[in-house]
Amino acid sequence: MNPDCHSDPRLRTTSVFPVVNYLFTTLVSRAADNVLKPWPDAAFENFFSFRPFVVTTLLLGLLCIARQSKADEPVAVASNESAPQQSLLVDELARQIDIAVDEQNAASGVPVVEQADADVILRRTTLDLAGRIPTAREREWYLQLPAEQRRQLLVDRLLGLPDFDFHLRNSLDELLLPNRPNDGEFREYLLTAVQAQRSWSQMFQEMMLAAPAEGPEKGAAQFLKSRVRELDDLTNDTAVMFFGVNISCAKCHDHPLVSDWKQDHYYGMQAFFNRTFSSKKNELLEKPFGSVRFKTTEGEDRDAALMFLTGAVVADQTPEYSDEERKQLDEKIRNLEQKDDAETVPVSFSPRRALIDAALADQEQLYLARNIVNRTWERLLGTGIVDPPDQMHSGNPASHPQLLRSLAEDLVAHNYDLRRLIRGIVLSQAYSRSGRWTSESVPPGSQTFAVGASRAMTPRQLAASLMVAARSAESWPTVEETTANPEEWLKRRTDLENQANGWMREFEQPGEDFQIAVDEALFFSNSERVQNDLLRDGGDRIVGAVKAAETPEQAAEILWAVINSRSPDENEQQIVRDWISGEDEQQRLTQVQSLVWALLAGAEFRFNY
Amino acid sequence: MTGRKRLAGSPDLSSSGLSRRGFLGGATVGVGGVLAADMRAVNGLRAEEIASELRRGEKHVILLWLAGGASQLETWDPKPGAKNGGPFGAISTNVAGIEVSELLPQAAQRMHQTAIIRSLNTKIADHGRGADLMERGRLDDPGLKYPDLGAVVARELGRLESTVPDYVSLYTSTEGRRKGTSGFLGARYAPLFLAEQMSPPNSALHESLSLDQHRDRAALRDLLSKRFTADRRNSTVGSHNSAYQRVQGMMASAELFNVEQEPADVRARYGPTQFGEQCLIARRLVEAGVPFVKVARAWWDSHGQNFETHMELCADLDHCMSALLDDLQERGLLEKTLVITLGEFGRTPTINASLGRDHFASAWSCSLSGMGIRGGVVHGATEPEGQTVADGEVSAGDLFATILSAVGIDFTHEYMVGARPTPLADFGSTPIETVLA
Repeated sequence: MNPDCHSDPRLRTTSVFPVVNYLFTTLVSRAADNVLKPWPDAAFENFFSFRPFVVTTLLLGLLCIARQSKADEPVAVASNESAPQQSLLVDELARQIDIAVDEQNAASGVPVVEQADADVILRRTTLDLAGRIPTAREREWYLQLPAEQRRQLLVDRLLGLPDFDFHLRNSLDELLLPNRPNDGEFREYLLTAVQAQRSWSQMFQEMMLAAPAEGPEKGAAQFLKSRVRELDDLTNDTAVMFFGVNISCAKCHDHPLVSDWKQDHYYGMQAFFNRTFSSKKNELLEKPFGSVRFKTTEGEDRDAALMFLTGAVVADQTPEYSDEERKQLDEKIRNLEQKDDAETVPVSFSPRRALIDAALADQEQLYLARNIVNRTWERLLGTGIVDPPDQMHSGNPASHPQLLRSLAEDLVAHNYDLRRLIRGIVLSQAYSRSGRWTSESVPPGSQTFAVGASRAMTPRQLAASLMVAARSAESWPTVEETTANPEEWLKRRTDLENQANGWMREFEQPGEDFQIAVDEALFFSNSERVQNDLLRDGGDRIVGAVKAAETPEQAAEILWAVINSRSPDENEQQIVRDWISGEDEQQRLTQVQSLVWALLAGAEFRFNY
Repeated sequence: MTGRKRLAGSPDLSSSGLSRRGFLGGATVGVGGVLAADMRAVNGLRAEEIASELRRGEKHVILLWLAGGASQLETWDPKPGAKNGGPFGAISTNVAGIEVSELLPQAAQRMHQTAIIRSLNTKIADHGRGADLMERGRLDDPGLKYPDLGAVVARELGRLESTVPDYVSLYTSTEGRRKGTSGFLGARYAPLFLAEQMSPPNSALHESLSLDQHRDRAALRDLLSKRFTADRRNSTVGSHNSAYQRVQGMMASAELFNVEQEPADVRARYGPTQFGEQCLIARRLVEAGVPFVKVARAWWDSHGQNFETHMELCADLDHCMSALLDDLQERGLLEKTLVITLGEFGRTPTINASLGRDHFASAWSCSLSGMGIRGGVVHGATEPEGQTVADGEVSAGDLFATILSAVGIDFTHEYMVGARPTPLADFGSTPIETVLA
């Protein structure tokens, strides 16, 4: 690490310098990182074989060190958020991400925006891991941490909070049941699974098996139960949400744009679900036999094989039934559909079980892993490595195919551990870039990940953040207090989650090309709830705290710290000075409420940027 | 920050402590900011797009939705004398050779403005999916939710910076109540749906605020949002400010829902029924620039007592539709407004044991009047007993293509939904040229 390299004016004259500097420091920091640990042979080999230009880079980099004054400083210390290589030091995945993204941008001459400042990184990371804005007290804690450690400390703290479980649960819920935002059983199951740190592959199995259960596990069946009336929904939604593949176009004809998808794939996937039915007791069961027959575009009638998306065909091990046996079984199934106390029907071969096995056996395409990696990436960086995320096929190549592949392999190698993946992404520099684009030129495309994205908050993020921001800084516990008393924080956070649940219906779930509706602006502008709840006066409320401020400057500090998670700039200080005049109590209250409202309804608050 | 200087030099303002508009004058985001919300604006609008942008807000559609399914035999396709023709006769209209049910005497005198389609064959005869089909012109595909007609018209004819709603849906009955859907077009084009109350939610000023305070607060919001929006070229960020720019206009447009502002003689023309008042609201909305208004009248689902039901409902439809056409005509709005009568399906030509008619989607009717329509025309025919289409079969997609063509929207235009090209009217739809002007 040579942070002063940039300040050497002689070096600035050469345009290749930043790239060389980057590549060199990458290598040095990788080396440094490895030196701190035992250096296995494999790592050594990997280090020197991972890119062909390594030698050139090293030579140029050594030249750089030779020409600058502080070459002998310790190499493995990053000084602040904007130091270029911090992320590379702390997390293996973060390092992989940055190498892949930066290398591609350097190679294609894409300008990369600088790292965001500490406040932005704190807010973004907290929204993404805790599902809410940071409290002012968390911000104080964060800013006093040693700069070179604070991101890692922040991320590891957030990963350990109940907030993380709530938010990951919410994110998975939004992915898997987008049309049923308040399915209590499903949400309870997801929370239980996330709290128990179950692997993604295990959750996938539980949702696909959908075995009858009691208690929190019961909700695992909701993914399929909510779709059981439409075989096409079972088929396509499973393909879209678990494998990143939308094969609906291949229902009526081989996909017109994608040579990968044939009718055989669509009906092959359908064959895994066509025996699924719901009993009178609302349990999700499978019939002991049944197949899918479809008409090809050539008019030929064809029986669908149990075919996974890779083309792998699962042998159908359904036993032979005589016509008489079939008749009896059909009668029993009818009973199950119509009567609470019907006799169960034994099933010796489960196509859904076969689908699970096929998906987990897929070591070639890694559909299950690639999809959740890409979905997680999209959630955290605004755009998927494959975009749109349900179009994983040869006609829509990934922006960084090797990276996607290696992240998916890493996920599989680490037992589909979503926490590890999320930690790696949020510790990367690709994640922590500023979202400001000040140049006149057209900004780089979203799949370069060269500029931070501005993402509309989800309804639950926005609702929870409003609940945080409507209270005074002091009404939230300090970081030390939450650490010392995690049960108390779990209770507070659960209350917050429940409160947010009551507000989220006012907002729309963001989708592709999301446009904020005027209904939302009207809700903020005129509703009783905003006026009487968010803008309520009181000692523990933001309005009360700002009203009690002794100077306009102090009022501005409180407003911006609590609502926008940063300090006001001079211009904003001046606006507050001009806005708050020393008039009577009632006028002052109205003025303060207007300021609080203007920030809560402001663009900055609405986005995760 | 010129505004700030003005405040500093304005002792009156600080003593009143109320109106800070002078302070914030010039703070509101102009048209440029609003247009930036549109994805197309990111690449710069081309000249013809600017021209078409300016023309937006000048064309309208009013859909009179006959919820539950009106009988074609008691409206647009009477078959007096047929085995199941029912007790009502056919009357001649002011267009030679065209007859309608005697239950529609006023509409009969306005046939020169109206085209009848008698050959809908839409096949789906259950309320839910039938309404899905007729509202959207096709059924949803797995993983793809289509926008309904109102959302498409709002998207294509609405002004981005419009101060009025784009899509208003009025429905007071509980039977068959459906909100409507903007599908993949998203919340921006979702209907303003009014069911319990006849004024839009959150459109009234809160009692604790004066109008000046409300406006000042909004201007302060705009000002404080600028630092954030300045360096972010993102259509979603742009849409946030656009939404707030529309608030004042939407609040002002709440008055459009108040029929008491109309002169007594105008209200009398529409009559005292709820449907009449809502048709009048539709005219007020259209006059103010709203592209799409749906007024639903329920409940036509006459499985029993079909003839009594239609005597009552047809009288209301006949009167209100005619008042609406006349009013639009007199105000010069009919040439810019398409008026449709449509439901989810028609009713069986056979009469059941309860003297009712059941669901029937194989051979039924709808009407189109006004903008882009060749009046005094009948398209298609059913065979004498009305069981099947005899001539000129029309699908839901064809009807969609016809409606869009009438108001000048290219129905073949494709939205890209992810990687999937999706035309406004379903693939293979053909507009009915005979009814188009």
